[in-house]
Amino acid sequence: MRAAALLATALSAIAAAAGAQPSVEPRRFALGVELSAAVGPEDRGFFNYTSYEDSAQRLARLSLTAEWHLAERVALLGEVRDENLGTPRVYALYARVRPWRDRAFDVQAGLIPPVFGAFSRRRYGGDNPLIGYPLAYQYLTSVRSDAVPGTESDLLVTRGAGWRVRYPFGWGNPDPEPGLPLVNALRWDTGVQAHIGSGRFEASAALTQGTLSSPRVHDDNGGKQLSARVAWKPVVGLILGASGARGEYLSRDVIGALPPERRGHDAQQAWGVDLEYSRDRWILRSEAIWSRWQTPMLERSLGALGFTAEGRCKVLPGLYAAARLDHLGFTHIDGPAGRVSWDAPVWRTEGGLGYVPVRHVLVKVAYQHNWRDGGRVRERALLTSQLVVWF
Amino acid sequence: MRAARLPLLALAVAAGTAAPRVAGAAAGSIRGRVEVTREPPAPQARPSIGELSMPPPRDLPNRRRSVVYLEAAPQGAFEEHEGRAIMDQRHETFVPYVLAVTVGTTVDFTNSDRTYHNVFSLSKPRRFDLGRYATGQSKSVRFDRPGVVRVFCEIHSHMSAFILVFAHRFFATTDADGRYRIDNVPPGAYTIVAWNDGEARETRTVRMGEDGGVMEQDFVVR
Repeated sequence: MRAAALLATALSAIAAAAGAQPSVEPRRFALGVELSAAVGPEDRGFFNYTSYEDSAQRLARLSLTAEWHLAERVALLGEVRDENLGTPRVYALYARVRPWRDRAFDVQAGLIPPVFGAFSRRRYGGDNPLIGYPLAYQYLTSVRSDAVPGTESDLLVTRGAGWRVRYPFGWGNPDPEPGLPLVNALRWDTGVQAHIGSGRFEASAALTQGTLSSPRVHDDNGGKQLSARVAWKPVVGLILGASGARGEYLSRDVIGALPPERRGHDAQQAWGVDLEYSRDRWILRSEAIWSRWQTPMLERSLGALGFTAEGRCKVLPGLYAAARLDHLGFTHIDGPAGRVSWDAPVWRTEGGLGYVPVRHVLVKVAYQHNWRDGGRVRERALLTSQLVVWF
Repeated sequence: MRAARLPLLALAVAAGTAAPRVAGAAAGSIRGRVEVTREPPAPQARPSIGELSMPPPRDLPNRRRSVVYLEAAPQGAFEEHEGRAIMDQRHETFVPYVLAVTVGTTVDFTNSDRTYHNVFSLSKPRRFDLGRYATGQSKSVRFDRPGVVRVFCEIHSHMSAFILVFAHRFFATTDADGRYRIDNVPPGAYTIVAWNDGEARETRTVRMGEDGGVMEQDFVVR
């Protein structure tokens, strides 16, 4: 919280300086409150866990968002969240500045939205037609940022158990900790980004402290991530996007523990393509993300491909049906029993209904089925309901 | 909520309550001005926390526009009007912000923006969802029940508007100066209501004389 306060002070100073320019619109302050609560059975296979404690299927969240226009072209934005009655945390806090009035060019600095991909900027409960998250944005793999496996076998013993990873002969933190998702949709990274375009073509780039899988407020390795996205809207309703990112994901502590000749191979590199088409009562979205983690003590990098496709259709005023198909696959490495994927592939289907009785209330019911080619629990079905209230 | 009086009005007309009769003496007019002294709050969008750029500029809706209507209409005044009206979507704003129509009217929701809009309403008198449609296109909704219909855009949370559906024709929307005029009002006692921005702000009882004429009724909405 102290860091957040310092960041807020710094951003206020930036915004105050920029705010010296004349304003043609009244200053305004917008506050948003969203309460969501998901109630579902225990996820014994940890398919939906976003940390060792929290599952997206059993999550109560209070979110406060604010947007304060200090001047015509300067705004401060922030979000504080409390999840499962824990300690409130700052999830977003940044300044948005448009330097030139007539140019669609914006700069954002602070704890900023990711430019990579499409899903992680869907911040509100209503933006997700279902209850679960796409696997690429949530599922915990057996890669960690504070420890590295010593051998291929060391990695394979954690196969299908990304919520609690410990490498028996690894380097770095010896305690069991959750692994990393391909892209962390629940935390944002700290840095600066630029965005240009507002019509058919848009481009964004960001320089941040952490990486897609491990966003950070404080830098922990001296490296920076460069990420970018371009989006093309050939017709109204169709968005085609392509993203890329590269940054060092291993912490300073684990790098320092490695043999000197093994240092310098610690980057996460990712590519993504996304598509959204909407028309009439339909929205179709699809996204594919390829991620590759360099792992210093292994011969090969660890690759993963996440694919998701979802659709939403309104069947009546206030009532919609939605479905999502998800897959997460991994590259193969040589293990004691031959070539095998370094983590267990996962498939997920989810379908559900959403009902809006009044404008600020959304009730969702979703059925999710998960399969995994490994791990202690290989299959798990979940029927979950969620209430979202906002104003 | 006082705005819920509109449906009751329709029931009163249909049941033929003690409302004045249309036939008989000369009809008159009620006119005046509704002065809105309160500063209507600007419509607020949800914080654009996940956006990468400044939201596009948008117009502010004219929330000073009011509707003046008779709460109990003359008996036999019920009429279904097969008319058409337009509510445009322009610069992420519904234009007009307030639309008053009679039962049976079809409203065309045109889209003059370069982005999608998705007009919907969850109001009891008329629930509808027009889906997403692009610039230059229009979709229509017929309103067959009286009442207040709150209209929103699913994509742009700051967009909202009102459609007031009357079972009679004794209503008027104020012009840019706040002036209104209701014609052909038969003699009798009426309850006249000044409605603004979602609420019946002032209600008073008036009597139209047997010789008709023009009655002045001004309102101040604070």
